Amino acid sequence: MDTTTQIIISGLTLGAMYAISTVSLSLIWGALNVLNMAQGALLTLGGYAAYTASAALGLNAPLAILLTVAAGGLFGVAMYALVVRHMLDREGFEVNVIIATIGIGMVLEAGLQKLYGAYPIRQPLTVEGGFFLGNVYVPYNSVIIVLTSAALMLVLAAVLARTRMGRAIRAISQNRDAARLMGVPVELVYAQVFALAGGLSAASGIMLSTITTLAPTMGYDPMLKAFIICVVAGLGNVMGALYAAFLLGLFESTVQFALGVRFAFISMLVLVIAVLIWRPYGLFGRTRVTKL
Amino acid sequence: MSATRRNVLAGLVLLAIAIALPFVLPGRYLIGQLTLFFIWATVVTQWNLVFGVAGIFSLAQMAIFAFGGYATAMVGLYGGWNLWLALPVGALAAVVFSLVVGLACLRLKGPYVALLTLAIAQGMYLLIITDTACFSMEGVTCRNFTGGTRGLAKYGDFGFREWLGYKYMAFGDYYLALGVLVLATAFSMFLMFGPIGAAFQALRDSPEYATARGVSRFKFQMLVFASSAFFTGLAGGVFAGYYKVMGANTLYLSPLLFLLAMMVVGGLGRTWGPLVGAAALMLADEGLKDFPEYRFMGIGAALVLFVMLWPRGIVGAAEAIGAQLQKRRSELGGTSTRQH
Repeated sequence: MDTTTQIIISGLTLGAMYAISTVSLSLIWGALNVLNMAQGALLTLGGYAAYTASAALGLNAPLAILLTVAAGGLFGVAMYALVVRHMLDREGFEVNVIIATIGIGMVLEAGLQKLYGAYPIRQPLTVEGGFFLGNVYVPYNSVIIVLTSAALMLVLAAVLARTRMGRAIRAISQNRDAARLMGVPVELVYAQVFALAGGLSAASGIMLSTITTLAPTMGYDPMLKAFIICVVAGLGNVMGALYAAFLLGLFESTVQFALGVRFAFISMLVLVIAVLIWRPYGLFGRTRVTKL
Repeated sequence: MSATRRNVLAGLVLLAIAIALPFVLPGRYLIGQLTLFFIWATVVTQWNLVFGVAGIFSLAQMAIFAFGGYATAMVGLYGGWNLWLALPVGALAAVVFSLVVGLACLRLKGPYVALLTLAIAQGMYLLIITDTACFSMEGVTCRNFTGGTRGLAKYGDFGFREWLGYKYMAFGDYYLALGVLVLATAFSMFLMFGPIGAAFQALRDSPEYATARGVSRFKFQMLVFASSAFFTGLAGGVFAGYYKVMGANTLYLSPLLFLLAMMVVGGLGRTWGPLVGAAALMLADEGLKDFPEYRFMGIGAALVLFVMLWPRGIVGAAEAIGAQLQKRRSELGGTSTRQH
C-alpha cells in the first residue's frame, strides 16, 4: 500500500512537470508544424531567470515567477520574429526549422553557461518541508508542483476553448489556409503561440529546477522525455499530450521502483517504439490519409 | 569534361595533397588534427547518405559511430583480438545496430524519426554511464562491461609504434584514417551516382510515386541504414584505436551537433558538401581554440545562420554563384556576337 502511494505521488509529480513542457511542444507543433528543439534551453532559461529574480533582485516568489514567465514568453516571441518567421513556407521547412531551433537552443544554453557558470546552483524558490500520508513522506514542493501544473493546464484549456486567441490557434491548427481566408491574422497568432509556449516552458523550468538543481544542461533530459510523451500522444494533440504526460510519469515512477532508475529512460524508449510500431501517429493521433 | 570525371579528378588531386601533407607539416599536432578531420569527415559523408540523399532525418549517426567504437574496443579487450581484426567486427556490429534503428523508424516520418533516433542515442548514453555492475576484475579494481563513466581502455592499438617507431607513429593513424575516408567517399559516390542513389532520391522526393513504380521503401531504407553504418562503425573503430580510450563522451550532444553543423554548413546532399563542411568547421574550431566557451555558441549560430540564409550550404551557394557567372558570361557572349 505504502509503495503504491509512493509510486503514485512521484508519478504525479513527474507527470505534472512533463505535462507543461509537453503541452508547449504540442502547441507549437499543432499550429506551425515546428518541432521546437530549443525547448530544453527554454526550461533552463526559466530556472535561471527565477534564480536571478529571487536571489539577485530579491523579489518575492510570485513576482519572481511572473517575471520568469514573461522572460520565457519574450524569448519565444523573439525566436519566432527573428528566425522561424523567415523560414515559413520555404522548401524543406519542417527539417530546416528543427535544425534552426537546435542552433537557438545551443546559443541560449551556451549563453546561460557563460553568465552563470557550469556548476550546479540550488534553486532558491524550492519549498522545504512536507507531511506524512500514512507512512509516506510527501514533500510540499511536490504538492505545489502538481497543483500549479493543474492550475496552468486549466487556464490553458480555458484560453484555448473560450478566448478569441484560443479559437484562432485551434482554427490554424486545423487548417491554416482556411483560417487565413476567414481573416485570422496568422502571423500574429503564431507569435502568440510562441509567447504562450515560451511562458509555459519557463514555468515548467522553475518546477524542474526545484527538484533537480540549476545547471546549463538541466533541460536536455526532460526535453527528450517530453518529446517521447508527445510522440506517444501524437504530435500536436494538446489534450492527448496531457493524458500521456501523466500516464508516462506514472509509468516512469513504476519502472524506477521495480527495475531501478537506470532503466527508466530506456523502458520509456521501448514503450514509445512499441506504440509507434502499432500506431505510427501516436496513441491519440489521427491517421492522415495522403492523397496523390 | 563530364561531372563524374571532374569529381574523380578533383578527388585524386585532393588525395595526392593529403598523402604528401604529413611530410611537409611542422609538428605532430596538425597531423593529429587532420587525422581527427578524416574521422569526422568519414562519419559526415555517411550521415549525408542517410539525411541528405535519402532524406531520413536520423540523429543516430554518433550512436552508430560509438557502437562501432565500443564493439571494436570490447572485442579487443574481452576477446583479446588484435585491433586490426576487431575493426571489421566493430563495423559489422554497427551495421546490425543501425539496422535495428532503421527498423524502429521504418514507419515514421520527418520529425518523428529525429526524435526517436535522438532518444535512442540518449538511451545508449544513459545505459553506459549508469553501468556500475562488475564484469571483470582488473587487479583489485572492478571493471564494468561498458566501462561506465571512465570508458574502456587497454584494449590494444594498431601497433604503429612498433612498426614505424615513435617518430612516425602519428603517420600510421593519419594514413589509416585517410584510407577509411577515401573508401567511404568512393563508396558514397558510387551509391549516389548509381541506380541505388536514384532510388533514394526518388523515395525522398516523392515517396508515393516511387513506391507505385515498385521502389520498395523497406528495402532501400534498410539498405541506406546498413551501408552508411559500415563506414561509420569503421570510423568509430579507428577512433577507438587512435585515442586508446573509448568513452561515453562520443555520445554527448556536442559532437553530434558539431557533425550536424558540418553537414549543414557544407551542403546537405551535395557530393562535396560533407568534406567542405568538415573542413570549414574544423578550421573554425581551431580558430576558437583559445575561446572554448564560445565554441558551442558558434556551432549553434552557424546552424541557425546557414539554414536561414544558405540552406544549401557552402557548396550549394558556390554552385549558385557559378551558375550566375556562367549565365552572365553567355549573355555577354550573346551581345558581343550580335554587335558583330
